[in-house]
Amino acid sequence: MPEHTVMNTKTPLWSKACSSKKQERGAAVDFTYIENVLPLYRRAAVLTVRLGMEGIFLAVITGLFCALVLYEKIPILRQIVTVYIEVSRNTPLLVQLFFIYYGLPKTGLALTPEVCGVAGLAFLGGGYMAEAFRSGLEGVENIQRESAYSLGMSRAQTMRYIVLPQAVSTSIPAFVANVIFLLKETSVFSAISLMDLMFTAKDLIGLYYKTTESLALLVVFYLMILLPVSIAGAVLERKVRYAGFGT
Amino acid sequence: MKNFKKWTGIGLALALALTGSLAGCGNKAAVVDKENPAKGTESKEIFRTLDEIKEDGTINIGVFSDKNPFGYVDENGDYKGYDVYFADRLAEDLGVKVNYVSTEAANRIEYLQTGKVDMILANFTVTDERREEVDFASPYMNVALGVVSRNDNVVKSLDELGADDKIIVISGTTAETWLTRNYPDILLQKFDSYATAKEAFENGTGIAWANDNTEVIAFSLQNDGYTVGIPSLGSNDTIAPAVTKGNTTLLEWINEDMEKLGKEQFFRKDYEETLAGTYGDEYKDTLVVEGVQQ
Repeated sequence: MPEHTVMNTKTPLWSKACSSKKQERGAAVDFTYIENVLPLYRRAAVLTVRLGMEGIFLAVITGLFCALVLYEKIPILRQIVTVYIEVSRNTPLLVQLFFIYYGLPKTGLALTPEVCGVAGLAFLGGGYMAEAFRSGLEGVENIQRESAYSLGMSRAQTMRYIVLPQAVSTSIPAFVANVIFLLKETSVFSAISLMDLMFTAKDLIGLYYKTTESLALLVVFYLMILLPVSIAGAVLERKVRYAGFGT
Repeated sequence: MKNFKKWTGIGLALALALTGSLAGCGNKAAVVDKENPAKGTESKEIFRTLDEIKEDGTINIGVFSDKNPFGYVDENGDYKGYDVYFADRLAEDLGVKVNYVSTEAANRIEYLQTGKVDMILANFTVTDERREEVDFASPYMNVALGVVSRNDNVVKSLDELGADDKIIVISGTTAETWLTRNYPDILLQKFDSYATAKEAFENGTGIAWANDNTEVIAFSLQNDGYTVGIPSLGSNDTIAPAVTKGNTTLLEWINEDMEKLGKEQFFRKDYEETLAGTYGDEYKDTLVVEGVQQ
């Protein structure tokens, strides 16, 4: 079932959500309402995480490819990649999504909102990931590569056994920051009618006017998604901190 | 492990702080009796009274910026439309300047409850649920819901929709509320603004678009290839100015002024100036509400 139809639950949410007696203005939190809309938030959270993960996965692949192109200074491709990185990093995701979802159909390419969301996230994230990996690659001192060559290692071997392990470990902090950044960026998906957490909260406020409860739930759900990522990221950073050669 | 505890601690503290502060924002601060401040607590009301607006010299009015011909920004960057024509007149009668605040459908109640605007004049349909959140003045327009679809596949009844057919709605509109309540099985594709819904519908998204019938009729008249298959749906409602709950001084003044406007047939003139270009004279009597008390 497509996620943008989350409001069409079989249970008549309307009657349930409004069944609790209208309380005094500014009075206590309406827990009946929270209970009733929780499934909608859960579904929205799943959509947010799923699209976020898909987008980040593609962004990592794009970023790695771009970083290697820049590092190996491959002609022509390098210029294209440079332009791509500048465009993706210096335009807002909202603009990219508008272009993909509302602009591309004019050229005959109509994509579903979900595909557009993932594509937008991958496009934006690719540029950021490329920069993260590039800084990691360039952080490996040239002398190490020269030493490897002088020991008779091939270019590929040097990359695989000397450069990449260190580059990956030094780019982990930037990588984790990008993952969190990209997950948060999914909050503009509402612009292309995707029922993510942000849009679900806004929509519910428009339907039931329970601003306090809806926003509090929104914060809690984002934290539930992002806190574990931050914590896992911090652990990961410590685990791979073996690359401090020469420092 | 120690670090884990620290992180979780920080996380929890942050969560609590954020939730707390947000809850504070959302709270409709206790309404204090202006005449008898002694009765009230130290908390201040969020709205501005009639006198405070006059003193300030500017009234903030929430209008649509993308909903031609009711509230929109023209090519010169000026706000225009049926709602805006009325808003201009209200400000003139009040003797203040007007500051237009662009709003989206789902924001209208929040804007009043947080005092971002003094008044909403954004094609705001009066409903019982909304009446609990804001105060409506006298009505100035009739409205029902309508459904517009493409000429090659006109939707004439909501019961004939296929299982996969999606209807476009704008988040926070009466069309969304009504369909959610009465047709919970219809798939809705929701957009957060009029402009994006229109764009997506023109791009081929959805089988039909449900909205106020005034808007879908205007859309079908302004764009070729579309037919309003269902011209009237749901209950017949009215559109009225809204103020923050409890802002009686402003509300009473608006009602008095609208009574005066009714006597001079102001809204018929408003229709001729702003809507006739789209609708012709055909809908004047069905659309315009004049001099009716709330």
